[in-house]
This record gives sequence, structure tokens and C-alpha cells, in this order.
Amino acid sequence: MEKAPQKTTIIGHLKENYRLYAIAFGIVLIAELIGTIQFSVGSALIVLYPMLFAIIISIIFGKDVLGFLKKKETKKASQLVLVAISPFMAKIGVMAGSNLPELVNVGPALVFQEFGTIGTMLFALPIALLLGLKREAIGATSSTNRDKDYGLICSKYGANSPEARGSLSIYIIGFLIGTTYLGLLASIVASFDFFHPLALAMASGIGSGVMMAAASSTLATIYPAYADQIVMLAGMSDMLSAITGIYFTLFISLPLVNKMYAWLEPKIGRRGKNKNISHSKSAESRVSQ
Amino acid sequence: MNMSMKDWTISLLFTSVLTAIIANFFQNDISIMESIPGVLILSSIAFIGIFIAKIVPLKVPAVVYVALTGLLLASPISPISDPIIYYTSLISFTAPLTVVGTLAGIGLDFKAFMSQSWKMIIIAVFVFTGTFLLQAVFAQVFLTVTNAF
Repeated sequence: MEKAPQKTTIIGHLKENYRLYAIAFGIVLIAELIGTIQFSVGSALIVLYPMLFAIIISIIFGKDVLGFLKKKETKKASQLVLVAISPFMAKIGVMAGSNLPELVNVGPALVFQEFGTIGTMLFALPIALLLGLKREAIGATSSTNRDKDYGLICSKYGANSPEARGSLSIYIIGFLIGTTYLGLLASIVASFDFFHPLALAMASGIGSGVMMAAASSTLATIYPAYADQIVMLAGMSDMLSAITGIYFTLFISLPLVNKMYAWLEPKIGRRGKNKNISHSKSAESRVSQ
Repeated sequence: MNMSMKDWTISLLFTSVLTAIIANFFQNDISIMESIPGVLILSSIAFIGIFIAKIVPLKVPAVVYVALTGLLLASPISPISDPIIYYTSLISFTAPLTVVGTLAGIGLDFKAFMSQSWKMIIIAVFVFTGTFLLQAVFAQVFLTVTNAF
């Protein structure tokens, strides 16, 4: 059992974490030296921010690839994400406060676009069923499966249920895919020139600060005239998702995904694969414990 | 978050405060001295928000209180909104983010990621595409309906 020391002095704190801070600082420095890189692919402007480089470099340095960091430091680092992101959220709050009339003006749209969250299952559930998934698909496609959603699925279906395994998979994959992919997706969708920049900004708030940051900084570069409003609205949308997210998942998304599953599974679900799946079940549940 | 305010403050100093100042220099050519007030203001807002989250028993993520504190302090009703807006405007919003990506990347369980099936990776792509696109559609519709452009 690990136990945090009850009383820490500044020196004690630093002794425990100096390696993590030093390595993180080094990675930030490298990422900043690389800087922001942008290039066009067709009509889409791809923007790569230092944050993205930082993620990739730190995965390489991390415990699973080069092993510069120990397991304990890895754990500490994930705790520190919430600490480190707070000045960014403060900045978003300040931007929102200084643009209050604007925020009130788009308020209704900001609230209603949250219902777009059901897009997860509309797009992904049919694909999951075509790929042969069963109940795992319910957990996987009911939401973007951030921390709280995964917790909710676990408490509703049990941590060893197929639903929870599906949710955990998207939770694990989501961070890497979500962060790198959302910026790219924002570029591509922006290049269609169909949506208003502010609509795309609101769409960026999907309940994960890091992903929202990736998408909104890309959009801010593509539409410099709207940069401040984009970041502000993306942040506010993300904040709304953070507040309403699990209730939405519980009362709207989960009932809906279950209905869709009951309707679609007999139509497009793959047959005769049950043996295979129950086999992989036991292997996976060992991992998740 | 079950971290003491003291630990939280030290952690913040050695992650965001330090790196945001550096990042702001690299990204926006704003000198270290010029960045300090803005970064300290943002950090103080974060501190207040986290502190409120600790004493309010509602189950709302702490970052929400941070954003709301910032919103309130920078809104027209705040007597100190002008200096807050001015000094924080010198800090680009991407400056505090590099270290967030770093810590998230260090904390990522890459082994668990690699052990996922390719099917789940495809599904994840559709999950994120789906929510982004449909939210954009809804936002566009309601922005148009409410004439808010």
C-alpha cells in the first residue's frame, strides 16, 4: 500500500519529486525549441503545437519506452496534470469574464450543442457492431469515456462487465488518439468551410481539458480574427461538459445507446463469435484488475 | 483532489508557473519579467478556485471553480478586472499547456495503450469524430436560429 507522507516540507517535497520536475522541465524546453509548426495538406492547415511534441517526447522518455521515469513518478505525473492545467482554466475564465456580453449572446447555442454528445454512439456504435463487438460497444460508444464516465459505467455495470471493459479501452486510447486526432479533425472540418468558427470552437469542448486545448489552439491559428473567442467558447463548452457530462451520460446517452444496441445488434451484429469473445474476456479482465 | 494546498502550490510553482514563463518567452517573445505578473495572477486564480473546490461539498470538478473564479474576477462587476485582464493578456493561452502535455504524456500508460485491439482504436476515432461533428452541427444550428453570429 502506498501512503502519501502526512506532513511534507518544501525540501521533502522537492526531494521526492525533483527528478520528475527536472525531466518535465527539460521536455518542455525541447518542445518549445521545436516550436509551432504549421503546414497545409490540401486546403487543411495542420498546426502542431509544442504541447503535442511534449506529449510525444514524454511518452518516449516515459516508463514504457526508454524508461527514464519510474512507475511512481509516472503516477505522480498523472496527478499533476490537474494541477498544471489550472492556470490554463484560469486564463479561460478571465477571457470569458472579459467577454461576458459575447458569452451571454451565444449562451443558448452553447447549452444546446451539448446534446451533440450523442454523436459518439450515432457514429461509433454501428462501426463497433460491424467489427463484431457485443456489450463492450455500449460502454465504448456511450460517451468519450473520460475519467468520470468510466467511473459511472463501472458503478452501473460493475468493473468486470463487458461494458466497463469497452469504456476502459476508449479511456486508455482516448487520451493519445483524442489529443492528437482532435487537432487534426478540427483542421480538416475547418477546411470544409461549412461551419462557423464559433460553432467549431464549441464542438471542441468535449469534457477533456487537454483535448479541448489541442482542438481550440488549432482553430485559433486557422481563424486568427476569432482566436480569443474560440478559446473562450471552447473552454466554456468544456466546462459545461465537465459539469453536466456524467448526468448526460447517465440519463440520456446510456438509455439511448442501449435502445440503439437492441435495435441494431440483431441487424448488423456479427454472429457465431461468442466463443472467441468470452475467451478474450477472461484475458482482458485480468488486465483490468 | 486529495492533495494539501501546500503540496498543490509547490507542484504548481515547479510545473506551470516556471514553464509558462519560459513558454511565453519562446512562443511570444515576451520577456520573463513581463510574464511574471500575469502568470502569478493566473496561478492565484487557480489557487482560489482549488481552495473553493475543497470547501464546497458539491461534486463538481475543481477546474470548474477555477474557471468561474477567473470569470468573476475579470467580469465588469469586479473592481480589479482591468489589471487582471491586462496582465493575463500578455500570457498566451498555449503557454501553460506544454507542461500539461508533458505530464499527461509521462503519466500515459503506453503499454496498456499498445495492448488495445485495433478495433477499439477505430472505434475511438469514430467516438471522437462523432461528438465533435454533431456538437458542431448543433452549435451551428442554434447559433443560426438565435442569430448570435
